[in-house]
Amino acid sequence: MLPWNYGLHWTVGTAIFLGAFYTVLVVVATTLITAAWRSRRTLETGADEDVRWHSDFLDLPARDRPCRHELTGEVEHRPCPNGFDCRKCDTHQSFIDRRQPQVPWGKTCEGFGMTFPLDRLYHRGHTWVRRERNGAVTIGLDDFGRRLLGKPDSLDLPGKGQRLRLHNTAWRMRKGSLDLRVVSPVAGIVLETGRPDSEWYLKVMPEQPDLRHLLEGFEVQPWVASEMERLKRALVTAGGPSHLVNGNGTDVASIAAACSPQCWESVCSAMFLRP
Amino acid sequence: MDKRFIPAGISRCSVGKFLLWLAPWAAMLAFGLYSAGLCLVKGLNQTHMNNRFAFGLWIFLDLTVIALGAGAFFTGFLLYILKLKELRAVINSAVVIGLMCYGGAMAVLGVDVGQPLRAWFTFWYPNVHSMLTEVTFCISCYLTVLLIEYVPIVLKNRKLRQIPSFLVFEHELHKLVYVFAGVGTFLSFFHQGSLGGLYGVLRGRPFAFREELGIWPTTFFLFILSAAAVGPSFIVLTTWLVEKISRKRLVKPAVLQSLGRISGMLLAAYLLLKLVDTLVWLNRTTPRSGFLPAQYYAWEPFGLWILFAELAFFLLPMVILLWPKLRARTGWLISAAGMACCGVAVNRFVLTIQTLALPTLSFDRFLQYLPSWQETGTFLAVLAAGVLVYSFSFRYFVVFPEERELGAAPSAAP
Repeated sequence: MLPWNYGLHWTVGTAIFLGAFYTVLVVVATTLITAAWRSRRTLETGADEDVRWHSDFLDLPARDRPCRHELTGEVEHRPCPNGFDCRKCDTHQSFIDRRQPQVPWGKTCEGFGMTFPLDRLYHRGHTWVRRERNGAVTIGLDDFGRRLLGKPDSLDLPGKGQRLRLHNTAWRMRKGSLDLRVVSPVAGIVLETGRPDSEWYLKVMPEQPDLRHLLEGFEVQPWVASEMERLKRALVTAGGPSHLVNGNGTDVASIAAACSPQCWESVCSAMFLRP
Repeated sequence: MDKRFIPAGISRCSVGKFLLWLAPWAAMLAFGLYSAGLCLVKGLNQTHMNNRFAFGLWIFLDLTVIALGAGAFFTGFLLYILKLKELRAVINSAVVIGLMCYGGAMAVLGVDVGQPLRAWFTFWYPNVHSMLTEVTFCISCYLTVLLIEYVPIVLKNRKLRQIPSFLVFEHELHKLVYVFAGVGTFLSFFHQGSLGGLYGVLRGRPFAFREELGIWPTTFFLFILSAAAVGPSFIVLTTWLVEKISRKRLVKPAVLQSLGRISGMLLAAYLLLKLVDTLVWLNRTTPRSGFLPAQYYAWEPFGLWILFAELAFFLLPMVILLWPKLRARTGWLISAAGMACCGVAVNRFVLTIQTLALPTLSFDRFLQYLPSWQETGTFLAVLAAGVLVYSFSFRYFVVFPEERELGAAPSAAP
């Protein structure tokens, strides 16, 4: 195999054969080392949560990540290709430009026994974002998330001054054996933290004022309807009581009590976009 | 009990049922390991092979599973190089099957050659005049590539992916998977061909000997083409089998039909070349060796029927897989896939067992061969190990990404 091996006489054929073999080995080894080196760099820069979001998002079935314009009926079938970040989307603005002027929407959106105030924007991980006068935003868990999760046993909020990245972990909530990492709806610096029993959990100064990736106004109602469908599918998959999801008569808060702990954990993970 | 390890969004049967499924395969594996152990410790006298019948059940199965396992490299080539995105639904399964096939082939080769502790001799003191050196190198490299391609499937396990370094490494490996797909295609191309290249030097076996096209015998190309043609059919067959056993929908029918169509097109190319090769073999090669074609088929049970069976097992599936209306029906599609797999098995059987059975010299006899229980046991170990690996992978890893989307019914099977 090597030049000094007794009896090995190098010919053109030998050189081609062993050259090809060595080349393959070098290519495979180089690729592995490149992957390992890139992984190390990603971990050192703290970008592993970005990778987690990217992986979690792609793990969602296509029907569980419909484009917001599919929810509003502007397009028939379009899975979101951008990790729910519409600011990166080539077609989002064209949909906005084509929209008819909307009737001013009311103060709240009611449906399925839940209330969604429309003075705020909604992230598809069931957090809401409300703009404040000083440019900061307040972040909390929406009614769907609160009812599904119930009162958490403990809350792990980030500290003041901590930097949040979009779609990374905003805070952690523990209930039973469930350890839920709530997806951050914005990127920014934490200014203030709330309490477990408060309406809001974080006040954040966003890195950029552009919040186009969040749902607003007339988009909320169809989104909530699709989330109920998604909840039903999650319950079916987890072997839970999917019959409890029955349109406007649904009581999301009763699902936790009706499910086994494993089923409920599975459903919560799915609904909070953490499969 | 193990629900935390089962991928999110899919359901699997209870642990008890899973263990019940595994038990007979584990028993088969244990029996097979005992058989293989006997062969390694006591030697090849445990088998019914001898100096005349040097190829037996193991080599026949090696050639067959390597051809069937070609679905792994070919599906990777179609997905990552030719960008047929619908095959994303079956690529993980193809990798696991490839791993089973090539791992099994290497294991059986290790038992056949013996002295596995000296396996490194093949690499350190290569016999550069032997085609099998190149086969060994390529299969070892490709098995390594398959193991590397299997790593992301493992690291995506629900629990393992919670470890940040595993998640990130899987992500980075996946971004470079096209490199492995390309390397796998290159390696597979050569080792599939080299297994066929053997018949260019087998002048002492006129039945199997083939003339050269350039510097390679025709079987070099025929082996590559038959493997590429049958690999997708094997993926179709195994996917259907898993759907039946698990009672779940795992892939969209269009994906299987696409694989069937590709298989059909390659079968057509293979048959064309095979036909030409057979005519040349019958009309030129055989007479030059001093034989008449009829002499090859004068020995029972290897009558003329086996030649026609070999061709029919390729022709019929080719017709079915190229006929859209038939291909769209599951029964026809699966039957065609099954026939194609049988075809490659018959072809490899003819080129191993039948080749050695036929007399060549005037004092040779027609040889009978039946594998011993130890040989059969060793083969069963490979089969059982493959089923066990696939079963674990199916239960704990995402082998079929579309399963969640297609909606899983509550399961009573693995």
